[in-house]
Amino acid sequence: MTEQNSVIIDSNTINSQATNKSDSGSETTLFAEPLGHIGSFVITNSLVSSWIVVAILVIFLVAAGKKVKNIPRGLQNIFELFLEKALEMADSVTGSRKKSEKFLPISLALFLFILFNNWLGLLPGMGTIGFNEMNGGQKVFIPLFRGGTADINTTLALALFAVVASHMMGIVMIGLWNYFNKFVNIKLLLEIPTKIKKDFTVVLVNPIKVFVGLVEIISELAKVASLTFRLFGNIFAGEVLLFSMMALFAYLLPLPFMFLELIVGIIQALIFSILALVYMTIATAEHEH
Amino acid sequence: MDELIKTFHIELNLLFAQVVNFSIVLFVLYRFAYRPILKTLNSRTEKIEKGMRDAGEAGKKLEEITEKEKEVLSNAKKEACEIIKNAEEQARINAENIALETKKQNEKLILATKKQIEQEKNKMLTEVKGEIVNLVILATEKIIDEKLDRNKDMELIEKAIK
Repeated sequence: MTEQNSVIIDSNTINSQATNKSDSGSETTLFAEPLGHIGSFVITNSLVSSWIVVAILVIFLVAAGKKVKNIPRGLQNIFELFLEKALEMADSVTGSRKKSEKFLPISLALFLFILFNNWLGLLPGMGTIGFNEMNGGQKVFIPLFRGGTADINTTLALALFAVVASHMMGIVMIGLWNYFNKFVNIKLLLEIPTKIKKDFTVVLVNPIKVFVGLVEIISELAKVASLTFRLFGNIFAGEVLLFSMMALFAYLLPLPFMFLELIVGIIQALIFSILALVYMTIATAEHEH
Repeated sequence: MDELIKTFHIELNLLFAQVVNFSIVLFVLYRFAYRPILKTLNSRTEKIEKGMRDAGEAGKKLEEITEKEKEVLSNAKKEACEIIKNAEEQARINAENIALETKKQNEKLILATKKQIEQEKNKMLTEVKGEIVNLVILATEKIIDEKLDRNKDMELIEKAIK
């Protein structure tokens, strides 16, 4: 299994053919490589990239929110336009401005964080600047930076955050008991004796509904998995693709794929944030009767 | 599951670190960018709506006032017309009255004058009558030269005059 664990793409790009493996061939591994330790805490190259993204975003967002005036000037117009459009988009998903205003910060933060991580991984130097490390008598190239979202820890963390946030929103907005009944529907079971006189089919329909509720629990797990692997898969595949192209021919050839990856980066960020919004909307919807 | 964790190097530490990273981004976004911008956006929307509403109300009020002004003006015109008409009527009546009064007074005056003239005439006539009697007496005295009985005389004269 260990051989399959890492997808090894020869990307000794500049000075060798793809077939000639050099001593310090850089590889794109399925996981982020550790750079060092602080105590037992492993610092990977993806984590470093994420920190850079956090720093950039913090500076950018603080600058954006600074000196917000009632009469907008210059950049504030752009931020306001951006926010306005984002709110409109969120409205089309949630169906109400009140919900949009509540959910949008999470969705927007997801979008920006993922987008910057995706794009940061495309910058030249990402995955190519690094150092060699002796590993079991073999020289292994360890890149200093790796796209944050090309690490499953990042995407899994974001997916968990999004899904947990949707559950939180559900509990806060429709109440713990109502929310619990979405999955384990005790209410419907209790309804059977009272409604049976009016409508006999309740005996058949309600247990089915209860079962559907139980299936929802599995779908919640599926949500996490799908969010995680969609983002990770796309971005990682993009990196592998770029490395392959660079290994084939380093000049011009990777360029169209670079543009493709730029688009993939924004699309994946958008999909992730919109899905998070959808999950939050579903979680906060009152149960229909 | 173990296979999965091993393959992708899923580590709780890293997961937690990324959650913290994202939480920082979320917090900064919400606290420093999202909330202030949204607040200004909403407050501006409110302000504009209020302004529009106020403008609409002001327009309506202006219209109302204009209407009222028109009404007041037309009322005033009507009243003025009425007053003038009344005054004219009054004046006409007054003139008529005055003319009537004058006529009456004139008539009265004429009547009085006529009466006076009549009286004067009567007085003159009686006076003339007396004078004539005396003259006749004197004349007859002179002609006859003899005095009849005074009473007889008078009787005769009066008979003659009649």
